[in-house]
Amino acid sequence: MAAQLNLSGPPNSDLSSLTDQSVSSRTSNRSLRVAEKERRKNEAEDPSVLALKYFSDVEAGTPVIGNDDVERNLVLVEKVAYRNGLSPEAISIMLEFAMSLRMGHSLCPRVLKCLIPVTVVPQEAVVRAVAWLGVDKIPVSTQVLFIKWVLTVFDMIDAKDQLRAIYGFIFSFVSEENLCPFICHLLYLLTTKQIVRVFRVRKLLELQSKLGRQPFLLNLLSLYKVFCPELVTLSIPSRSKSVFKNHNMPWKSALIAVQKRNGSQVASSISLASASKDRTNRRKRKHHHLELPVLSSVVNKEPQTETSRRLVPLVQIQSVAELLENMDHIELPAQMGSLLGSSLALQYLDCVQDESALLRLNFWLGYALHEELLFCGDGGASQNSEESLQFLDKLLSTQHFLQEGFSSSEAFLYKFLNVWDGSLLRPQILGLLSNIPVVPSSQIGRLLFEPLMQLFFTSSVFFKCGLIECLNNMLLKWLTWHSVYALEDDLDISLNSHTSINMTLSGFKDSVMELVDFVGRLASIGLQLEGCHCLLLSCILDFYTMVCDMFLKYGLPLVVMPPSGVFYPALFATDPVSVDRLAFIMYRYKVNLTSAKSQEKLTEQAFHISRQTFREFNYYTVYMVNCLWNSKMFQPGTGVQLGEELLLKSNVPQYWTSFDLVHHPAFMSYAVDFHQKCWIGKKDIDLDSIKHQKPWSWYLQYLFSQGYDGLKLFVQSNIKAGQGDGQQGDGQGDRQQGDSLPT
Amino acid sequence: MSLLKPFSKLPGLNTANILLVESEEQFQQSLADGLVEETAVTVNVRLAKSLPLPKENEESRPRIDLVVFIINLTSELSFQSAEASLKYLDPGYFLGKVCFMVTNARNASVPTERLDAVRKLAAALHCPLLFAEDQTPDGVTNATKRLLSILKVSAGLVPMATALYLSSLTSCTVPPDIDQPSFD
Repeated sequence: MAAQLNLSGPPNSDLSSLTDQSVSSRTSNRSLRVAEKERRKNEAEDPSVLALKYFSDVEAGTPVIGNDDVERNLVLVEKVAYRNGLSPEAISIMLEFAMSLRMGHSLCPRVLKCLIPVTVVPQEAVVRAVAWLGVDKIPVSTQVLFIKWVLTVFDMIDAKDQLRAIYGFIFSFVSEENLCPFICHLLYLLTTKQIVRVFRVRKLLELQSKLGRQPFLLNLLSLYKVFCPELVTLSIPSRSKSVFKNHNMPWKSALIAVQKRNGSQVASSISLASASKDRTNRRKRKHHHLELPVLSSVVNKEPQTETSRRLVPLVQIQSVAELLENMDHIELPAQMGSLLGSSLALQYLDCVQDESALLRLNFWLGYALHEELLFCGDGGASQNSEESLQFLDKLLSTQHFLQEGFSSSEAFLYKFLNVWDGSLLRPQILGLLSNIPVVPSSQIGRLLFEPLMQLFFTSSVFFKCGLIECLNNMLLKWLTWHSVYALEDDLDISLNSHTSINMTLSGFKDSVMELVDFVGRLASIGLQLEGCHCLLLSCILDFYTMVCDMFLKYGLPLVVMPPSGVFYPALFATDPVSVDRLAFIMYRYKVNLTSAKSQEKLTEQAFHISRQTFREFNYYTVYMVNCLWNSKMFQPGTGVQLGEELLLKSNVPQYWTSFDLVHHPAFMSYAVDFHQKCWIGKKDIDLDSIKHQKPWSWYLQYLFSQGYDGLKLFVQSNIKAGQGDGQQGDGQGDRQQGDSLPT
Repeated sequence: MSLLKPFSKLPGLNTANILLVESEEQFQQSLADGLVEETAVTVNVRLAKSLPLPKENEESRPRIDLVVFIINLTSELSFQSAEASLKYLDPGYFLGKVCFMVTNARNASVPTERLDAVRKLAAALHCPLLFAEDQTPDGVTNATKRLLSILKVSAGLVPMATALYLSSLTSCTVPPDIDQPSFD
């Protein structure tokens, strides 16, 4: 049997291959098979072996109806298949039996459905089966079933070189209308640059004119275009709108079940074959469907030196130096997902200009995310969350390494947010979310804000904090991209080195504006609903600490003030840290606005900060100075206005001083402490006495020495020296600095 | 046919009453177990298979602050039952005191049309649409917490917020064409 399988390979007898440390997958597979054979000797007279023997030996033309032998043997094989999966040999035999139609086509679908591989699928078997397709006796539905099966087990086929060699043959099936979508998918997985030829492009275009703009044709064409842009003149949307549909449902669950059940059993045989690399990792990767595949090369020949186009498989590269040496002729691995696991491969991905690598990786990733997280077979009941968690963590660290998100994970998020319950894999999802590249302002509301808003207002305060933090990180990444990729002329920025979305500066500003406004809305209402929760307030102030410095730190000519729903809760907060941070934020706003104004005068550039922003800033600053310093809380014309009689009715003595630095609930304890230290032994505490000139400056020194640097900066920049006594109560607030622009 | 009315009875002190409507009666029990564990306020949970509610208990039944329709997306019946029950609610309920909770939305066997139909229904009634993972304990806890936060608002226990205010922020929007995020 084994000899039959190795038609094109070298003889199988030399056991020396077991000790061979080569990582080439052919060797691994051979040794695998040897191990398999050994094992079979032990269980010599297994009935399933006899059943397989029956199928390999059965004569063509044997009748099916009334043939108990077939039924009995097939049931045996099916039992083994659904329980443990089929060995590579068994797959070969059964596939050959089914596709050759030795007993007619009635058994064919049934056999195909039970072809669940336990380890790998021998490439030869697939090639032979594809050859049978050409005989033209197999019913179309069975042909479709077969291609679907190939797509399902594609990653488990041990090598792809021979399949690639018959690309032309497979390509010839695209003209069959029923097979076309599946064939296109298969071709997509097999295509390399050498394969793209004018006549194939022409054929596909011809098909497209016949069938319309079908997504499967477009996808294949877009891949062709990536490889040979000069051959495909068709305009294809920059991001393919949908990936290929998934056809693997009949096998998927059986495959997963078999893989899980066989966990330990197969692990031993795999580790035997791959003694060269860290075992635990590999073992894990093989059996979990969400795990990253092992880095293995597409072509399993030894590196050829005779041709000028020598390709070095990525898996053989061990160091950065080697990577640099072979930069121009590196062969990508068969499974792009394996790139995520190797930092060298990521380095390569990062600097290579070839878009096809990223396209393939995106395709794989989109598929995996969609399949395993978004729409899983049973709605998540049996889903191994540990697995998804590790997968997403890996993806996150990859994105972190590359410092950009993948477009497929972005597309996945937009879908996932719409069905998310807000707790499933929250840290990972929020992490991925903060990595998404700048979204055009026309789309941002629909794609992001609507689903997020619903989640935000119906979830716990901790979700709210998490989301604000996530949006904070998102803004940070956008601003960093802007400052890195902004072009010289300040008009165009290329936001992403790979996908090269170009965005005008004003477009970028609009997006940032939308994001900041959105967080402002969330923050105001969130604080209101949660009763000014102090953790939430802290997250929000984090966000504004970034927003206030957009101009100076990130060179973005945009200043957005916080809404009053954020300003007042922070100012009247009961913890001194929030007030201090607000003071720091107001100080940074002032520095940014002043510098923007002076720059505007200097260069007379067109950028323009609206008068409204200045007005808001002045207004907040004046209010803050009045409130904290001048003890004039309820001035007419300010935001917080209450009727005089109402205030008198409240019976609060000297209500206008309630929120000055002495009486503010956040600082009251400091005032009392200061009072005790200042007038030792004085029994009755009179806080108003702090407001006299001398104690007042001492009190300020005392406060600043407690670490309230924000407050210190705010006071130093807004209040003129020498007027530092609060007791006179008339305007020391510096009103001139940032005053409204002349029109 | 008796309508359930939101304001026909007086509210209890520091009390919130929630009605969970689910035709399959699977998820509502575990939700209810979680809901009554809330200590800050007294939460009364009423369970129903469908509306209208029976006449006999009408006197003793407290004022219902929030009606939750639980829809299992894998079953068409579940959706139809919820849809049929809606007409036994007083229009006053739709000012923020109704919400939909959907389970099994990530199941591959769910036709997308059904999810779209639920979205359209929720959007047309200006109600929030929550998704829940009913299969895992974490998912159930989270769903409970989210219902509680809405319930507290609609029972008037959160200062400065009303049910209508919250629902204007969270109501479901018309389903976006999520399959085609075009960037051209």
